[in-house]
Amino acid sequence: MTRKQRRLTLIGFAGAILAIALGLVLYAMNDTIVFFNSPADIQAKNVPPGTRIRLGGLVKEGSIQRGDDQQITFEVMDAQSEIRVHYQGLLPDLFREGQGVVAEGVLESATVFRADSVLAKHDENYMPREVADTLKKQGHWQGEANAAPKTQ
Amino acid sequence: MVIWIILLLMTAAAVMAVLWPLSRHRALTAEQLDPDTQFYREQIAEIERDRERGVLLASEAEAAKVEAGRRLLRSTGMTADTFAALGEPALRRRRAASALALSVIPIIALALYGAYGSPQLLTHPPKEQAEGQRGSLDLMTAVSQIEAHLAQNPQDGRGWEVVAPVYIRMGRIEDAVKAYEAAVRYLGPSPDRLANYGEVMVLAKDGLVSSEAQRVFEQAVALDSTSPKARYYLAVAAEQDGQFDKAKRAYGELLAASPEGAPWANVVRQRLEGLGAEQSVAGAQENAPQLGADDIARMVSGLAERLETRGGSPDEWARLIRSYAVLGQRDKAKAAVERARQVLAQDDDGVRTIDAMAREMKLIDAGP
Amino acid sequence: MFVEAGHFALALALGLSLIQFVVPLWGARANDPVLMSVGRATSLAVFVCIAFSFLALTVAYVTSDFSVVNVVANSHSAKPLIYKISGVWGNHEGSMLLWVLILALFGAVVALARNSIPLRLQANTLAMQGAITIAFLLFILLTSNPFTRSVPAPAEGQDLNPLLQDPGLAIHPPLLYIGYVGFSVSFAFAIAALIDGRIDAVWARIVRPWTLGAWAFLTLGIAMGSYWAYYELGWGGWWFWDPVENASLMPWLAGTALLHSTVVMEKRDALKVWTILLAILTFSLSLLGTFLVRSGVLTSVHSFAVDPERGTFILGILILIIGGSLALFAWRAPLLKQGGLFAPVSREGALVVNNLFLATACATVLIGTLYPLALEVLTGEKISVGAPFFNFTFLPLIVPLLLLLPLGQTLAWKRGNFLGTAQRLYAVFGVSLIATMALFAFEYGGPVAAPLGIGLGVYLVLGSLNEIVTRSWSRGTPLSVAWRRAANLPRSTWGAVLAHAGVGLTVIGIAATAWGVEGLATIRSGERVKAGDYEARLERVMPRIEANYREDVAVFTIFRQGQELGSLESMKRLYVTRGMPTTEAGIMTVGLGQVYVSLGEVAADGSVGVRLYYKPLVLLIWIGALVMALGGGVSLMDRRLRIGAPARAKMAPSAAVPAE
Repeated sequence: MTRKQRRLTLIGFAGAILAIALGLVLYAMNDTIVFFNSPADIQAKNVPPGTRIRLGGLVKEGSIQRGDDQQITFEVMDAQSEIRVHYQGLLPDLFREGQGVVAEGVLESATVFRADSVLAKHDENYMPREVADTLKKQGHWQGEANAAPKTQ
Repeated sequence: MVIWIILLLMTAAAVMAVLWPLSRHRALTAEQLDPDTQFYREQIAEIERDRERGVLLASEAEAAKVEAGRRLLRSTGMTADTFAALGEPALRRRRAASALALSVIPIIALALYGAYGSPQLLTHPPKEQAEGQRGSLDLMTAVSQIEAHLAQNPQDGRGWEVVAPVYIRMGRIEDAVKAYEAAVRYLGPSPDRLANYGEVMVLAKDGLVSSEAQRVFEQAVALDSTSPKARYYLAVAAEQDGQFDKAKRAYGELLAASPEGAPWANVVRQRLEGLGAEQSVAGAQENAPQLGADDIARMVSGLAERLETRGGSPDEWARLIRSYAVLGQRDKAKAAVERARQVLAQDDDGVRTIDAMAREMKLIDAGP
Repeated sequence: MFVEAGHFALALALGLSLIQFVVPLWGARANDPVLMSVGRATSLAVFVCIAFSFLALTVAYVTSDFSVVNVVANSHSAKPLIYKISGVWGNHEGSMLLWVLILALFGAVVALARNSIPLRLQANTLAMQGAITIAFLLFILLTSNPFTRSVPAPAEGQDLNPLLQDPGLAIHPPLLYIGYVGFSVSFAFAIAALIDGRIDAVWARIVRPWTLGAWAFLTLGIAMGSYWAYYELGWGGWWFWDPVENASLMPWLAGTALLHSTVVMEKRDALKVWTILLAILTFSLSLLGTFLVRSGVLTSVHSFAVDPERGTFILGILILIIGGSLALFAWRAPLLKQGGLFAPVSREGALVVNNLFLATACATVLIGTLYPLALEVLTGEKISVGAPFFNFTFLPLIVPLLLLLPLGQTLAWKRGNFLGTAQRLYAVFGVSLIATMALFAFEYGGPVAAPLGIGLGVYLVLGSLNEIVTRSWSRGTPLSVAWRRAANLPRSTWGAVLAHAGVGLTVIGIAATAWGVEGLATIRSGERVKAGDYEARLERVMPRIEANYREDVAVFTIFRQGQELGSLESMKRLYVTRGMPTTEAGIMTVGLGQVYVSLGEVAADGSVGVRLYYKPLVLLIWIGALVMALGGGVSLMDRRLRIGAPARAKMAPSAAVPAE
């Protein structure tokens, strides 16, 4: 084989791998990416039931109900609307009423959500970024002064 | 003074680290002048040593030597005339490099340290702080002992009463509330105990006198109508409810009943002044609705925003700090103190004003 | 006083690194060995200054000097000593100081390695190290100064984030940073070669130990971080495809590719331009990792800093260093001479394939990590790209690479014989296939992934060991002779075999997670929760008080098929200073698997939510990584790397063993 042929083999092979990778990425982009929504978004966008989403908002005060074997139901709300969430599992340490939360799972109907994972803020100053942004947009954000980093 | 000498010595050592290799040119031999050649020569010698020690097989060593030899030849051929460490241009280069080191290192170090360092702290080493630390360590062991004791004897009211103020000092307000609650439960109500209990509840709510706390204070006043702390907080409660007249009256009575030089008198007087100021604002606007807590908060946040974006005089900063402190938002007040100190760092008088205000509002000590 | 001296030392280091950048570069242009030698002295001085500065901060932490803002924000006088020390780098400012400390340490080591690096290359390399040091020292001094004082000093600190109060934190960041920063040396060498316009096998031989060392430490750092997340976060997961994890995985993938392409360059003088580009990209990805974690662009446990000013500064550094080096590359790379030829089917060809797969896999991870950011900036739409994306794109690229690995390792240099090579692996194919079949038969109807993955792992381990066997033993060789031959194989060969076998072990551990079982229940004392063959009985819940936290301790007895195995403790902690609760999972190791108990809320009536996991062979994931790093270490000890003994095919077979 000449140098040129070798080079062409190499380029062809590299091109093939890149094409496969590109195909995989594009396909995965359509299929595996999960959108973040607040309860208001779900109403506004008419998200069809059965869609996998990340739901973010505040845990409504007084809405937490515990059943047998860690069956938990609570409501996630924002300024405009709220949605009931079912979840079975251990809640994160910082899951509290009135605090920010992000739940990932499947939308069952316009007002019911089945979560398979629930994340809460990691420490006192941390609010899931998406939740903070959404709440800010809706003018519900007050935690700024307290959430500001303490060091200069 | 000692520290400046140390910093000077450090600078000198740093500069010397650069000057030293520059001054070694006299020791250079012709061979060292061509460092690449020297590099391969040394490599060949090392391979020889390794072979003797048996680390390398003879065939490997031979191949390695051949390889290094080939590179040695190539590098001598290529660089024989290019390395230039002697002569006039080299000397000039060396002088320039020395000058660069002599100027750049001290200038950069001093400029940056001067801008960001705190050399003034060096002359006054914070001695009392070291003692404070030792104290807090002792405190920690004491607290954990008391806690262990209380875990076993939860009905020891006296223990709870002892540990509660310590919790406050450590910033564990929630625990202090629980401790006072337990103390009241097991030792029975007394005016002081109730007043302290109410005060922690207020602290826990960032200065807001909740209806719960108000009931506790009323209970304390019922037991001892002179309890200044309880009366003070009841007045604050009235103020927060927007009943300014009632609050004013209550503050006035408290002042009148206070002995000369009572430690709380100043705070009460400020409260009273603050009330007066707000009322005059309210009075200036005819038929203006009475100022609610929300309006005050909005005014304060307006001031804060203006100071943040456009800056302001030390007095304005002091006013902001006072407003936060009066509203009971101690965190924000502290943040404002920090911010003001930063902004006014160039202005010594301004910083002093801020510090005075911070001391006055007791923002510096964590204790109540 | 010590603190102020440390602060001053940091400022001095900046001045010195400016000299380190300018003077040696000038010397190399003017061919003046005296100016070039300034690089050595200054990089040692920079290291001494930064080390002193770091020491000063450490002393402030250990003595709980609360006049330092950084100490106040991240320490507490009641904290155990080890967390006082590890707290130094458990926060943004301190971790950046650790970063430059390691950078300066590498600079000093390069300076001390005077007998193994030609002066001109060394001078240019140290100058580049100096440039990186300048950027990061400026960043620290101007935006993240750990020596800012607070007057008057508060009586007590705010404590370190409890999630970080763990032995894992003491080790994880330093290991990771040694890895990240180690690649700066390869980068500096690459830039030095571009400046000089000269690059050859000697260059590759000099650079390889640095890349190897950085790679081994990065491997350890990632494994350590993964194990830490596994036991500390209480979800029992060991890899979350979290952006911060991806940030460390990308330089690892690129670094692995670099390691292999350097071998080609060293042996065959080929792939020069590509190797240089990889060295630049690897360090760029390390910088990107630092940027992603430090700027707070991605919010996660690791983001200690949420501050746009810092973000902009790091972005500036990033653009300057990455953009500058790529521009230099585009300008100078065409000047480099092309090297040796090789057939597509050859060891070189296999290593090219390795590079292609690794680089592509790295690119998909990069896309998955940055796409959400880009989309949010462009459209405002928020998405999360999680495990499904990465599993779907990453695995199809990595599995073929792993399947080809033993083949590539067995191929000859220059021109290989594919069928002949495959023949040498017949036994390996056979055993792996039988193992997979046996597992299928044994588990009937379980997850398909587990037997296939374990089969792949077995194939990798055996395929690597096969290398040793075929080189030291053939039919009729006495065992003692074979043993001696194996022992005499070059260390670098052993290193490669170990590293590849480590990959196999990790693959087995990952595949076996498909067999994991879990159970969830709310139980009281005396009741049990069940997961597969395993059961945990809650004995009691008791309170316990430590210096800086209180905890509820749940004691469990673990049973397998009704037989008692022992007991373990899971904790629910409350760190009082920050009022922050954490969960500490209880873990019991059974063989290579682990029983993992995580607590939920402890209700007022004494019932506890409990999640029980049994994870078979899970330890292999990290043991594999340790073996990989060990392989790197063994290879690093190969004497021939340092003196550069060439191994040519024309030499006697016993010595011709190509160093891997």
